[in-house]
Amino acid sequence: MTTAKTDAAVKEQSAPVTPSDQRERDRMRRRLARRRGGGWWPYLFLAPWFIGLFGLTIYPMMDSLYLSFTDFDLLTPAQWVGVDNYDKMFTDDPVFWDSVHATLLYVVVSVPLKLALALGVAMLLNRDLKGIGLYRAAFYLPSLLGGAVAIAIVWRQVFGGDGLFNDFLAWFGIKGQDWISSPDTALYTLILLAVWQFGTPMVIFLAGLKQLPKDVYEAAAIDGASPVTRFFKITLPLLTPIVFFNVVLQIIDAFKTFTPAFVISNGSGGPLNSTMLYSLYLYKKGFTDLQMGYASALAWVLFLVIAGFTAVNFIASRYWVHYDD
Amino acid sequence: MGHQISRRTLFRTASGLAVTGALGSALSACSGGTGAGSTSSDLTMTWWGSDDRHNAYKKALAHFQQENPEIKIRETYSGYEGYFDKFNTNIAGGSAPDLLQMDTALVAQYARKGVLAPIDQYVGKALDLTGFSKTLLAAGTVDGKLYGVPSGIGVNQLTVNRTGLEKLGLKLPDREWTWADLRKISQDVHKKSGGKVHGVDDVGGGALQAFEVFAREHGQTFFSDDGKKVGFTADTLQEWWEYWAEMRRLNACPPPAITSAAHNDLTKNAVVIGKALFTFDIGVYGAGGSITEAQLDFLPTPQGDWSNAREGNYVNGGVLLSATKASKKVADSVKVMTFFAQDETAIKGMQLLRGIPPTEKARDLIASSLTETDKLNMECADYISQRVSKAANALPAPAPPPQGADQIWDLLFQSNLAVAFGKKTIKAQLGEFFDQAAGILGG
Repeated sequence: MTTAKTDAAVKEQSAPVTPSDQRERDRMRRRLARRRGGGWWPYLFLAPWFIGLFGLTIYPMMDSLYLSFTDFDLLTPAQWVGVDNYDKMFTDDPVFWDSVHATLLYVVVSVPLKLALALGVAMLLNRDLKGIGLYRAAFYLPSLLGGAVAIAIVWRQVFGGDGLFNDFLAWFGIKGQDWISSPDTALYTLILLAVWQFGTPMVIFLAGLKQLPKDVYEAAAIDGASPVTRFFKITLPLLTPIVFFNVVLQIIDAFKTFTPAFVISNGSGGPLNSTMLYSLYLYKKGFTDLQMGYASALAWVLFLVIAGFTAVNFIASRYWVHYDD
Repeated sequence: MGHQISRRTLFRTASGLAVTGALGSALSACSGGTGAGSTSSDLTMTWWGSDDRHNAYKKALAHFQQENPEIKIRETYSGYEGYFDKFNTNIAGGSAPDLLQMDTALVAQYARKGVLAPIDQYVGKALDLTGFSKTLLAAGTVDGKLYGVPSGIGVNQLTVNRTGLEKLGLKLPDREWTWADLRKISQDVHKKSGGKVHGVDDVGGGALQAFEVFAREHGQTFFSDDGKKVGFTADTLQEWWEYWAEMRRLNACPPPAITSAAHNDLTKNAVVIGKALFTFDIGVYGAGGSITEAQLDFLPTPQGDWSNAREGNYVNGGVLLSATKASKKVADSVKVMTFFAQDETAIKGMQLLRGIPPTEKARDLIASSLTETDKLNMECADYISQRVSKAANALPAPAPPPQGADQIWDLLFQSNLAVAFGKKTIKAQLGEFFDQAAGILGG
């Protein structure tokens, strides 16, 4: 394409063309093309990235798509079974539905709570106090520990039958129970752990709050707007792009939660599958029950669900996210 | 080990690089993966266990390598949790260990998938199994071929906190006891302890050491012979769950939260945390925990007191040592198996850490050096295996569990828990259990 254009431009400029001129121009053109970044060698520098993309992302994804239509136990060659895995998942696997139920509950409860807490704390930390940096670091700390196994183990101790939390309740004369091993409360200890790790969205909110124009607040204060009014009429609307960003990221993250559920339930997803988050079930199917084909199908369903949620988020965002005009 | 770069280190580094290179292709090609086996010059060996077992293995292997300097062993070990997950991944990635400790409950599954190497051809040559009984070797035999050497005799026993029992003024039950006796003494424990301690942990969902024995006492098996179904009737399971529902009602066993917490976690076992005095889990006595100061004792599983009740206990093979099929060092692995089966140092060092030693000779070797608890354990196991071999009406030891067995065991556990938490009635849960079990084993 480029060459054609250049040719045309060259022709327009000069009428008679001798063979030697032609050779000269060809040389020039090649040199120009090289200077503009044509040629193959930039790709050489990009090669590590391409190898990573194809070798570690695209190829494994395609392989797992293929495996999702097979019966594959990791140890013997995969057998093609068509859509059996998908069929079984939706019609004949009660544990699948248990895991869907647990995961949806986890996402729907933990994400809004986590974001509300993150925004609340970000607003508290958005002021010029002495040593504010220290406070910010302290509140961010739990998120640094993130998916750490150690934290999940601590959680198991805190909310176990003779754990710290029950000792705390005992001060108020409340007799606790084993929160981790009761099917009615186990998932909520996981949710609490997720909410506690609100640091990442908090930092993003904080950055957003710092961008808000001060003069608007001053004008509002002069007009007598209460702090509550200022929050709902100014802060929140101006912050919607940030809220949106956090909502999308946190939903995706929540869907993929694995480590705390694995550690807190000792890998079982129990009691009674109440903490059988989707990723944990997927892992169990693949590596414990040796049903890698089925696990691959589960992974693709998860992928589509996350993609669906994200798409819905983007569409809905048109109605509530306000960007600067 | 010196700090010079020997030929071996150099070679190991080079082969390490080769493995890393091959790993990428092995991972992505795992759909057709056969596994190239280990390319290292070392014999890789892996096992699970407690710290005591790790140390015993390491000491024994050091001795082995002194006597066989041409075989270098690279050891990896861990707890049971995740052990087979890792093994599966290694197999798929072509980096399986040459030699591993294998679970008797899983040996058939791996043998049938072609993961393990048959070792019959070495028997009587490099593999010395003198003194092993036929019934014991059955634990490592799948479809007529030997895939692993049993480490010792395993029988179904209960662990008892005898000190706790004596403190309450109760006597250890007689070894010839019944399920009704278990209920009676468990109730007594709860009463005499002022409601602080329950009698026995809730094994309404306990597959192998509990319900299987109960089913066998009814003349039924856990799995059908072809492994396509469960081998017991709904009536038997109903009777079992009703027994445990009654036990919970009487506070003879702890509430479901405690049962649930102990799932996959020996340190939360009802006896270990002091909430019960009897447990069907023999592993507790290796784990110690909070009861290490108590004197433990052992009892056979209770017997049926109905007419025509049969002997339900049986003898299995503890853990096994197996070689993998992809390994190029099966011959060396077999030497290690012989070492653990016959060598005096290995036997004395291992004590009861892999079960009651498999041969008469080995049992005699360690008899004098056993701790009090180990002695009691061995006596009880001996008592049971004698009783089983004499019983006219005992079923043969169970066939190797089919594929999906561990899912069925988990299903049994979860089902009992659902009933215990009051989420399901026994009747409703029975229907679900048999439905799901059919789905798992049939498809």
